[in-house]
Amino acid sequence: MSTRETILDSVRAALGRRRPDPAAIAAEAAALLADPAAIRPALPVPDPVEAFALRVVSPKVGATLERIAALGALPAAVARYLDAHGLPHALALQPDPELRALDWAGYALRDTARPDEAAALGQALWGIAETGTLVFHSGADTAVLNHFLPLHHIAVLQAPRILPYLEDYAALSDPAPRNANLVTGASGTTDIEGSYVRGAHGPRFLHVVLVG
Amino acid sequence: MAATHADKVHVFKEDVTRALGDATLKLAIDRTTVTAERKRAAALVDFPEFAEARRRGTAIKNHVVANLDHYLEQFERNALASGAHIHWAKDADEACAIVIRLCRAAGARSVTRAKSMLGEEIGLPHALAEAGIERVETDLAEHIIQLAGETPSHIIWPALHKTREQVSELFKAAHRDPHKVEEVEAMVESARRELRDRFMNADVGISGANFLLADSGAVCTVTNEGNAELTTTPPRVHIVTAGIEKLVPSMAHAMAMLRLLVRSATGADLTQYTTFHTGPRRAGDRDGPEEFHIVLVDNGRSRMLADHGLREMLRCIRCGACMNHCVVYRQIGGHAYGATYPGPMGAVLTPALEGVEKAKDLPHACTLNGRCQEVCPVSIPLPTLLRGWRDRSWKEGLVPQAMRTGLGLWRFVAERPRLYRLGSAVAVRAMRLFRRGGWIASLPLAKSWTAYRDMPAPAGRTFMEQLRDRERQGGRQP
Repeated sequence: MSTRETILDSVRAALGRRRPDPAAIAAEAAALLADPAAIRPALPVPDPVEAFALRVVSPKVGATLERIAALGALPAAVARYLDAHGLPHALALQPDPELRALDWAGYALRDTARPDEAAALGQALWGIAETGTLVFHSGADTAVLNHFLPLHHIAVLQAPRILPYLEDYAALSDPAPRNANLVTGASGTTDIEGSYVRGAHGPRFLHVVLVG
Repeated sequence: MAATHADKVHVFKEDVTRALGDATLKLAIDRTTVTAERKRAAALVDFPEFAEARRRGTAIKNHVVANLDHYLEQFERNALASGAHIHWAKDADEACAIVIRLCRAAGARSVTRAKSMLGEEIGLPHALAEAGIERVETDLAEHIIQLAGETPSHIIWPALHKTREQVSELFKAAHRDPHKVEEVEAMVESARRELRDRFMNADVGISGANFLLADSGAVCTVTNEGNAELTTTPPRVHIVTAGIEKLVPSMAHAMAMLRLLVRSATGADLTQYTTFHTGPRRAGDRDGPEEFHIVLVDNGRSRMLADHGLREMLRCIRCGACMNHCVVYRQIGGHAYGATYPGPMGAVLTPALEGVEKAKDLPHACTLNGRCQEVCPVSIPLPTLLRGWRDRSWKEGLVPQAMRTGLGLWRFVAERPRLYRLGSAVAVRAMRLFRRGGWIASLPLAKSWTAYRDMPAPAGRTFMEQLRDRERQGGRQP
């Protein structure tokens, strides 16, 4: 008998049954998700976009935020951020067609972040107001490492992409990408004497540009 | 054979004595656990739905445990469909053998590892060393204890027992370009510099799993440092080791559990980096592993499932809240438990994993004050389960003779109320002879107690004596 069978057999023996009933199990699993409002914190304001904007700059997330009216204003907004941090106009820019169509004159751009990259910019697929989370899906125009290697992680998010709660994203996650990266702040650690330090391995700074 | 903690000789009493005598350790434990306790409490103030969320989380895990066969098969089916390879391991040795075989097949010289308690449980660090494969721990705390040649002392903060001065020394001795100023920020940066090329040059990345999603075959990892993604993305091969109890039906269920897990562990609402991994790199992907392996490990879990008490322990989501709130853990730290999992959850789990003979002292390292059960996000009745182990070790004759005699004597007296009242009346008066300002610093026959803390001096008369007086005076009866 294979190890697989040995394990499954001992699990079944422990449960005292031969065969599960998938339909009954699915119904029970669905019932466990009923009334989600009872098991999650309510948004501080009803509008998910405003709730996200409040949340992302709160100490819980600790990001910085700039709001712009239209995507066309992104290169100038990014320039303001880089200038404020004394950084050159150089970026690992996600090769997202919408971002690449903007006017990046004066910028040195590359597709993927180097191990010591100062700043990377990517477009979040979704935002989640409940936690101030940005969601990125890996793919042909999204390298996972672009969210983890740079010291400054800059993310652009379009307001209509903001969902109220974590479950709302879960409901949309099909088909699953190889990696769904939910980013809620910059990298941090409390591993030395419990004191909080940012930039452990991942970015030290998270800057969000919210469009709309 | 993979060495686990059980192979080392741990004498619980000696370990405890050493821990209690270590003032630095007590300071280090307090620095982290006190902060953790405060942050968790603050997080719950902002989450009035916690009680209901906890009931639901408990129900979700009970549902998974009661249908574990179904969810294992569903997870396997979906993970295979996503292009993952699934391996099954009955015990620690099998699990390590599978990982080593996969590393060798990948021609691995260097592997990076993101903290996983299951990995510690099966003795993977030791197995990799024996196989001559360089292991680079990437979680900052795991990196610290790897440099120190130690094991984790907490499941969330493995290096909680280290002071900043100790960390500084370790980094200065090991890092190529160490920090120059004695500040925690500079030390963290030193580790960042040190590990950068290790991440990028590893042949295999190994992680654990916080949740396995049955309906998609996805593996969920959570970190605050981002080291899991840096561990699992650059190498050609990603290996996940996970206990079979880590399943949840779907991502929506995982979200409900994450709300409980993160608040209970660190007091945050969500970890900074929460990633769902589904299969290997796809056509056109810019990065990610070409091979994705998931090792499903039983190692005693199906045995726990057959035991109605211990089955409840399979709900555990490894948040560490029970140890942060445990008066015993906060005195002795994690190493004194001599096992992978310390604190209340460890005292229940270790006898189940390693046998009650090897871990017979652990269920006694508990005051039964019930704090652990109170804070457990999935309502595990830890004190009841600990009592179950005490009962079992009594029945199996594992309790030392001195303790059996003592308890027999106590029982003799307790069954005779007159004798008991006389004895306690003498004791409370005698104890007051040793008091200094309301406290007793040293007491004959109780030296092992008073060596580490003072005992409050008893009132001059027993409860029963005081009650009788009140009744006589016609005062309000309690």
